[in-house]
Amino acid sequence: MTQQGKEDSMSHVDEGALHAYLDGELPSAERAALEAHIAQCESCRAQLVEERALLDRANALLGAARPLERPVPSFEQLRRAPKRSPWRVRTPVAWAASIVLALGSGYYLASMRAYRVAPEAAAPIAVAMDQRLADKARDSAEVPQARRLAREERAERPRATPADERAFGQAVALGRVDSGALKVATSAEPLNNARPPETPQPTSGVARQREADSLAASDRAAASALPSAPAARMQQQDVLTVRKPSANTWPRIDRQTATAILGEDPVGLPDLTTRTFRRSPDRDGIVVVEQELDARTVIQIFQQSARANSSRIDSLVAEGYQYHLEADRRDRLARFVGKLRVEIGGPVSVDSLNRLLEQVGRLP
Amino acid sequence: MPDDIAEVYRNTYPALVRFLYRKVWDQGRAEDLAQEAFARALVHRPENTRGWLFVVAANMARDEARRAAREKRHLTLLKSEPDAVHSAPEDEIDADTQRVRVRAALDQLTPRDREALLLWDSGLSYDEIAAQTGLARGAIGTTLARARRRLVEAYDAAGEGGQHVARG
Repeated sequence: MTQQGKEDSMSHVDEGALHAYLDGELPSAERAALEAHIAQCESCRAQLVEERALLDRANALLGAARPLERPVPSFEQLRRAPKRSPWRVRTPVAWAASIVLALGSGYYLASMRAYRVAPEAAAPIAVAMDQRLADKARDSAEVPQARRLAREERAERPRATPADERAFGQAVALGRVDSGALKVATSAEPLNNARPPETPQPTSGVARQREADSLAASDRAAASALPSAPAARMQQQDVLTVRKPSANTWPRIDRQTATAILGEDPVGLPDLTTRTFRRSPDRDGIVVVEQELDARTVIQIFQQSARANSSRIDSLVAEGYQYHLEADRRDRLARFVGKLRVEIGGPVSVDSLNRLLEQVGRLP
Repeated sequence: MPDDIAEVYRNTYPALVRFLYRKVWDQGRAEDLAQEAFARALVHRPENTRGWLFVVAANMARDEARRAAREKRHLTLLKSEPDAVHSAPEDEIDADTQRVRVRAALDQLTPRDREALLLWDSGLSYDEIAAQTGLARGAIGTTLARARRRLVEAYDAAGEGGQHVARG
């Protein structure tokens, strides 16, 4: 595309910058420069692919040495020294509890990812908002801000996308993910409904009950129990939730990486064309194999080593993942294939999924 | 104002356990230490709870390692986790073997590289890692690149001797 001489005159990208880029931690100006350079420098493009493989591999190794993710013990247990009034602690907890109730269990899962993107002033992964409220508040200057945040965050999602997939990545960032975000936003509604939309202030029953005990503490809880800066700016908005990205936007990996993550070959439908391998962004050892039923119908086969952590995937199925399925109006069924726990999902009938699931086996 | 610790607790506890686990290599102990760190945070009410927690956790893990080194001279193999109901015994051994090898590979990193890698893997941002390790923010990418490369190389080098490696 470009002349060799021109390329050489530009300084090549060092591996540190590439890793920062892949980690989504390169400042935007440098990121733009890096992308511009990579677009025309074949050797740096190749290096990016290499570094990404290295990064995935290192993540997979670290994933093999992770503890089981057991349920988080109750915060109450931590209060051993009753030096201060119990309410001081309990009020925020009661608060937190009401928020958890309001958001549903998906919040917890999503929040596990939230800290990964938290650096920039704790910008949430995706800002899912009650559409009706968003419409109501459209005139507010804060809402475009909210949308911008959400979009920026989404646009950063394909940060692990190498240059050779850049076009795809941009398509995702500009089009598909936007509609994905909309889906997520819409699907957040039932959760939001669990709480009156007009009460973003901390007046839940539990909190109110505690007010008598400690007004001051409750005030503190009011300020601090709400998610930080960006959240506070978006006052019109009912509930801020962070969402696990839909599996469509999970980082792409190659088959070897999938094998490394699972500890064995990924499985799928032997007769179908495999389109993509992806891994869960949470490093929980979950891999999804995407296969084409036909040119327009993609089946997703989620899998995780059964020995890795069965309770973990079960809870994911029960919470976050199931949730996505509802958002996508799809069903998912599960079974064990050898040592892998496998789930299948796709825009076809349950019967078909069931039949397809029966055929899941070693990929050619 | 100090962060709401309950909120930080929910968001950070699993990451802190993971961070500690890679240091003490015992699930129960890692969980105990994580809870201890949060209990201390309740008393100290630090401004930046998350950062504070990881600093305290790192210190506790270091003390723990010193104490363990005094008490036990031999390396204890990781116990098989009772929760993994679906696993056959051979799988446990495989998983343990892999864990032990990753642990050995991690041991070959320089302390600073290892710390950066573990902090990143626990969900800290480059800014937070920089604050924690004293490295310049601009150096984090290079540090992580080196740490990842050495981890993979050390792991593969250990595997070339006998066992097969799930090599990509």
